[in-house]
Amino acid sequence: MITIKNLNKHFGTVQAVKDLSLSIPAGELFCFLGPNGAGKTTTIKMLTGLLRPDSGTIKIGEFDIQTQSVEAKRIMGYIPDMPFLYEKLTPVEFLKFIAGLYNITRPDLNDHIEASLRQFGMQDARNALIGELSHGMRQRLLYIGTFIHNPKVILIDEPLIGLDPHSIRMIKDLLRVKVRDGMTILLTTHILALAQDIADRIGIISGGNLIALGTLRELQAQSGTHDTLEDIFLKLTRL
Amino acid sequence: MTPLTAIWMKDFFALRNLRHLLQRESVFKVTFILLFATGMMGGFFAMFLSGFRFLSEMGGGGFMITHRLFALFFLGLGGMLLMSNVITSYSTIFKSRETLFLLTAPLDTRTLITYKFIESSLLSSWAFFFLMVPYTAAYAWHAHLGIFFPVWTFLFATPFVLLCGAIGTLISLVAVRWFPRNWIFWGLITGLALASTIYGIVQIRPVANESASFILNRFLPGLQLASHPLMPNSWVAEGIMALTSSQWTRGLLLWLVLMANTAVLMLLVQWLGERTFYNAYQRVVGASDFRRRSAELLSSLDQSLVFLPHDIRGMVMKDIRSFLRDPMQWSQALIFFGLLAIYFSSFRSFHYNEMPDLWRNLIVFLNIFSVSSVICSLAARFVYPQLSLEGHSFWILGLAPTGMRRILLTKFFLAALAMVTVSAGLMGLAAWMLQAGWALTTLSVGLAIAVSLAAAALATGLGAIFIDLKQPNPVAIISGFGGTMNLVFTLGFMLSVILPFGLIWHGHVTYGFSGTSFHHANLYATLWVVILSTATIIMPLWLGIRSLKHREY
Repeated sequence: MITIKNLNKHFGTVQAVKDLSLSIPAGELFCFLGPNGAGKTTTIKMLTGLLRPDSGTIKIGEFDIQTQSVEAKRIMGYIPDMPFLYEKLTPVEFLKFIAGLYNITRPDLNDHIEASLRQFGMQDARNALIGELSHGMRQRLLYIGTFIHNPKVILIDEPLIGLDPHSIRMIKDLLRVKVRDGMTILLTTHILALAQDIADRIGIISGGNLIALGTLRELQAQSGTHDTLEDIFLKLTRL
Repeated sequence: MTPLTAIWMKDFFALRNLRHLLQRESVFKVTFILLFATGMMGGFFAMFLSGFRFLSEMGGGGFMITHRLFALFFLGLGGMLLMSNVITSYSTIFKSRETLFLLTAPLDTRTLITYKFIESSLLSSWAFFFLMVPYTAAYAWHAHLGIFFPVWTFLFATPFVLLCGAIGTLISLVAVRWFPRNWIFWGLITGLALASTIYGIVQIRPVANESASFILNRFLPGLQLASHPLMPNSWVAEGIMALTSSQWTRGLLLWLVLMANTAVLMLLVQWLGERTFYNAYQRVVGASDFRRRSAELLSSLDQSLVFLPHDIRGMVMKDIRSFLRDPMQWSQALIFFGLLAIYFSSFRSFHYNEMPDLWRNLIVFLNIFSVSSVICSLAARFVYPQLSLEGHSFWILGLAPTGMRRILLTKFFLAALAMVTVSAGLMGLAAWMLQAGWALTTLSVGLAIAVSLAAAALATGLGAIFIDLKQPNPVAIISGFGGTMNLVFTLGFMLSVILPFGLIWHGHVTYGFSGTSFHHANLYATLWVVILSTATIIMPLWLGIRSLKHREY
């Protein structure tokens, strides 16, 4: 569902991503790990079309993100680490706006929005302004908005920043359910326990290079130990 | 629903919620802001009306000026709109977080550019309408024009706003896409070229003759350009007047010319935007990362400040570096003062220095007003929000082994030094170009210094009292209650110190008010300025320091 071939990106003299190739099939939750400045966010931004690669290709489903960006974005959702939300809208208005952007014409849209708000425990905040919501509530709203057009691919940059344990559990369960239903998820995180807990496969990037790729067992086999993901990560990315 | 409809719906929802937000605000705050806005518009109306009456009393020349002033007014506002649109379209198209959000949605570039262009034009146009309404109202009142005059004015003003917005957006798109990365060098080159062009246009004059038109063009810069039949502002001015005097065919023709040009420019924005936006955006986001900066920026200045205590020196250098590394900030100040400097430098080209005392006196006081107004707006724009913009890093200052008093006073002295240097320099230049006497020169420079010091103190003090560390957007900080109060007080101070001297000197050159009474009047006015300035500097700073000390963070 996500196909990356020979991806390269420079910022001035610094090469942020070096010849990255990766394929993520449908229904897989892929965790992208790496130290600060390793190239994770740059890769995600190239996947969303926000940044243009210097060379290489990216396909979301059968669509090339550079040449068929509108089609690719129609089947994709993106949750950034510092999301933008319209502070002067209510959650219901925001969700209707997102539905309009994705041209969702289902007749039961209002019922669907209400059900989603209930599912995420936001029914009491449905008419409050987004600017007045707590960080956790805003994150929940972002997830509802991202899932409203039922995307086939979701890209998430640091999904659990600033969330309380209840919200973390809710997000983790939700991601598992979505993957089981056939959604492809690529997420970046610094919380190695999260990756160990929910990832089908893990990729470790350092200095722009993909230095390890596989399931946790495969990574353990590669490192020749039965270490935890944290130990493997620290060993591989030692400066 | 198309994506563009969805975006408009979103804006409609936001506007509707703004009404609810206003209802939740304190009645005092809303009333204060409304009264201020109404008072400003009323003040502008009275000022324009008395200007028209003054010109009428002049007779023939005055009538000619009044007629052409309409075109000149729209030329000035058009230039202001264009400049404002260049800056606003850059920030709304390339720097806004909403663009980042919309770029991840299935939205084609044409839709995105169309929306952002209209948003930028609307954001830039409020000041245009804020000035145009009292001006046209005063003109209609003075000339006893019919009730349809405002309708015709809005009929022409709306496409004119979009036309200026389109030109501004095109400049912004082209500059971001193709302007060389070494932009400081090329920016200076372009600035110099622009300044030379303006200076050149100002110098061009028709062959000297005795006609009233020639004499008018000689004394009023831009009058000839404003009346040029190929200038959009002249279509607006002529069109409104044609419709008002029931010349329907000519009015309709001019409106269609304006509409056709606006439509073509808007299509050009869409066409160019569709082709350049993504590449231009890549330049912006690509350039913002990993840029190497000299670690020794301003090192010589840093070394020359060794006489200052280490904490004050650190704060001063931090503020100067932050200011210089944000071109959006200093470029606005540069444009304002640059234009004033060009204008003042051309006084002798227009032979203003050869005018009778009455006119030179008037020009000196108008110059004091213009420089003081720019100082007030810059204090409101840059000095007032500087403490709030410390934001989450305020704890660094708060926990440092220095006091709130030192922090606030450092910010005041730095702002005051910068504003005094620029305003006194400009006033000195204006007085010198006008060949004003030593008394008038000292007076204008002294008033500019007083306004600069008071504006810096008010903005720093009120900025501390109404500090908002959670708000990262400077525009939101400025447009709040504290920001409005700061602007009201600063403008109030400006009028309170300039008007007494204005009246005394007007009496001196017009009615022969002189001798001991004239000297005593000047002495009392000076005493008034000194007392008022001292109070205006000390009070807000003292209240600001007290507020910072007692605040919980």
